[in-house]
Amino acid sequence: MTAILTSTRASGRLAGGLSRLNGGLVAVAVITLLAVLGPLVAPHTATEAAGVPFTPPGASALFGTDDVGHDVFSRVLYGLRLSWLSALAVVGVGMLIGLVAGVLAGLGPRWLDELLMRITDGFLAMPGALVAIAVVAAIGPSLEHTLIGVSVVWWPYYARIVRGEVRAIRSRPHVEAARLSGIGRLRVATHHVLPGTWSSLVVAASLDLGYVVLTLAGLSFLGLGAPPPAPELGAMATQGLSSILTAWWIPVFPGIGVAVLTFAANLSGDRLQAQSGRI
Amino acid sequence: MPPEDRRDPARSPSTGPDSAILSGPGSAILSGPDSPILSVQDLHVTFRRPRRPDAYALRGVDLTIGRGEIAGLVGESGSGKSVLASCVLGLLPEHPAPVVTGRVLVKGVDMLTSPETRRRAVRRLDLGSVFQDPMSSLDPTMRVGRQVVEAAGSAEEAVRLLTAAGIPDAESRMRVYPHELSGGLRQRVMIAMAVAGNPALIVADEPTTALDVTVQAQILRLLRRLRDDFGCSVLLITHDLGVASQVCDRLVVLYGGRLAETGPTTPMLSEPRHPYTASLLRSRISLTSDVARPLPTMPGEPPRPTRPLPGCAFAPRCDLRTDDCEKAPPEPRPVPGEPGRLSACLRLDELAERPAEPGSASWPPNAVSGRGPLLTLRNVHQRFRVRGQGRHVRLSALSGVDLTVEAGESVAIVGESGSGKSTLLRAVAGLTPVSSGAIELGGDARPQIVFQDAGASLTPWLSVATLLGERLSRLRLSKAETRRHIARTLTLVGLGDDVLHAKPGALSGGQRQRVAMARAIIDPPELLLCDEPTSALDASRAAGVLNQIGELRRELGMTVLFVTHDLGAARVVADRIAVMYLGRVVEIGPADAVVGSPAHPYTQALVSAIPEPGRAIAAPAGEAPDPLRPPSGCRFRTRCPAARAECASRAPAPVRLDAGHLVDCLLYEERTTAGSAAS
Repeated sequence: MTAILTSTRASGRLAGGLSRLNGGLVAVAVITLLAVLGPLVAPHTATEAAGVPFTPPGASALFGTDDVGHDVFSRVLYGLRLSWLSALAVVGVGMLIGLVAGVLAGLGPRWLDELLMRITDGFLAMPGALVAIAVVAAIGPSLEHTLIGVSVVWWPYYARIVRGEVRAIRSRPHVEAARLSGIGRLRVATHHVLPGTWSSLVVAASLDLGYVVLTLAGLSFLGLGAPPPAPELGAMATQGLSSILTAWWIPVFPGIGVAVLTFAANLSGDRLQAQSGRI
Repeated sequence: MPPEDRRDPARSPSTGPDSAILSGPGSAILSGPDSPILSVQDLHVTFRRPRRPDAYALRGVDLTIGRGEIAGLVGESGSGKSVLASCVLGLLPEHPAPVVTGRVLVKGVDMLTSPETRRRAVRRLDLGSVFQDPMSSLDPTMRVGRQVVEAAGSAEEAVRLLTAAGIPDAESRMRVYPHELSGGLRQRVMIAMAVAGNPALIVADEPTTALDVTVQAQILRLLRRLRDDFGCSVLLITHDLGVASQVCDRLVVLYGGRLAETGPTTPMLSEPRHPYTASLLRSRISLTSDVARPLPTMPGEPPRPTRPLPGCAFAPRCDLRTDDCEKAPPEPRPVPGEPGRLSACLRLDELAERPAEPGSASWPPNAVSGRGPLLTLRNVHQRFRVRGQGRHVRLSALSGVDLTVEAGESVAIVGESGSGKSTLLRAVAGLTPVSSGAIELGGDARPQIVFQDAGASLTPWLSVATLLGERLSRLRLSKAETRRHIARTLTLVGLGDDVLHAKPGALSGGQRQRVAMARAIIDPPELLLCDEPTSALDASRAAGVLNQIGELRRELGMTVLFVTHDLGAARVVADRIAVMYLGRVVEIGPADAVVGSPAHPYTQALVSAIPEPGRAIAAPAGEAPDPLRPPSGCRFRTRCPAARAECASRAPAPVRLDAGHLVDCLLYEERTTAGSAAS
């Protein structure tokens, strides 16, 4: 069934036009646009002193300034960019590894399937955040290391999904027909099996984006993300937390940023899932 | 709307005498002149679907079934026959929302507008239903007995009904689950439940389509007997005129959601008065089809419910059409001189005196080349480990098959489900390695296969151009050459360039079948394998596919191995036919000999079980035994009318009857040894 999805959805989107767009997808588009264009929109950079510290939100600084005088609005914009692009990177890397591992497991020899699946079992058995913390703690806190740490725990989910889809598609007549028509094994895998896994993978990934954003924010919150003064939403929320009673805007706006990202990602994921379920 | 009595023979006092013609034996007691069991009046059903065009399923259908009458509702897929059945049962789906006008009266109760409680009472007391797939209608978690008792009221009654439905040893079958029964027995259980409580009308929607032909013959006989014993009317929905001809007193042919023709079965089939009925009969593949030339086919495509035509739905495919046909839909009119017959054709009078059409040019002589065998199977065995009753057991799907196929020859393998015919094909294709024995393919023949479900064999996200082009990659052609080659192949299978960039989902069933064929032959294989390529198609399409295979194999010099359950189709495509039963070839010979003078009792049973208009069917007793426990000696002996004690102890060896006609049966072994002793 999923096989039909990709094509039907693609053509449906063309035909249905804008009627299919909804809040979630629009929000994701706007956020991605902001993430890319953020530096152009932001009145200041993330790390320059923009005004008097602890200025409340107002005309001079939309979201106020923090304890060292950074513009919170600019920092939230930069933070969105950082969190969003990081989440996309983690999900992207996870999908890529998951796709390769899943296809190898689904189409390869039995021993390879067993090996890869036991490895994913191992990862899935442990709490993901804990493994990520262990990885980051072992190689030292930095943005790159956080991304590596989270990617390491993320790919097994995708590998599982892809393997399941591959095994379902593999037994369908069109794959048998493709094999019999004398085309190479690699081409059968890439052209006749792989595209069929795509829709479930995209749905899973878009539902995951919000979760990755949260995990990354959580790691920063614990001091395992990009070191200060990098504009990481999670880190900004932690550091501002101590002054929430005197300057609420310093932790609250980054917190809202995380909430918006997560919400938009989940909305679009739900929407994609509903679409693929309906067809 | 025309006056009702004109369309309603059972109601009209003037047609009193024909009700005897309309209904067969057993109905003399029943033909109540003024109370039809089912009366459908001017029924329209349209499905409104979001973001998709409306589907006009029924566009004004009138239908009456009298007491004790078996009416056959005949039509191809998309004709609206199943929607009509749902309306009769009062079970139209709520999504997509149907817009319904007209009346459907079952014993006077309107099944469209009455409150649900009323309709449910009618369904419980007056209606019984039998569907194509009994497995999905029976509850898999409940023992058969409980389900039948629910319908029958008591255990004694349930056993009585199961026995009446022809289930041997009914008492012990009450305790099994549906999956433990064979398809034929499940259908009998459904029928037992349907006749529980003496319903006035049984709606049977393609009740035999999923069954083997020998079991189909048994079920058809059962339906007829039930009518005679219980006196219930039957609405039999089928796409097969042959099936309808066997049991129905009267036929109702639907086309494009409208009535095309109705009347008593025999005259309608011998002298159709609607061009659609006529061409349906012509394109039917039967045991007497002329195989010297391409089969007659119906041109064009069936109508689409989403694009109804203003005039006669059949006009685009009709060679009698006039401008008037395309203006307004013709109303059904009585056929002059034939009471009880209606035809919705403006030119029905001319239809009677039409000369027989000249046949098309005959096939060029066949090209069995004398190049020697292309495919040789020697003592091929195929065993699978399957889980049976909680433990692993060995299933012997092929037990010692020998077969030689000459280059350029076309051989059909005919058998019912469980005969091993598909296993054999898969083994030849190299999809599953055989357990023992040898399969030798001559030369560098890499077989191509055309599957039963052509649509499912095409990768849904790839375009036709990609699907065809990728098979050419080994030839290393330039882009322009590849394009030319693809275009040429598409022309060969009767498709245009317009499908080139379409994905399979956007094509019609017939087009998909052609694309699948095009893919198989674009790089012409020496050996083409066909796995029931016609079994999922309507008669008019199946003939086209068989013609195409005939044409392509002659044009490209291909060898064909064709697997089917349909002896008629086998006779059309094949030079030789091999009949399989439970993993063994029991008879093989020239197609005409095997069909015309079958030697093996099983082949004889197969031939006589095929429903053909104007011929009574006979069915062998019982069903094929469990392949996990094949009978000793001759495997057919448990159903064979000629079986003797010796058959249980000794497996027959092939006996030569004529040149190339071999049969595995002890009857003939004796004869030949006697003959050789005398000489």
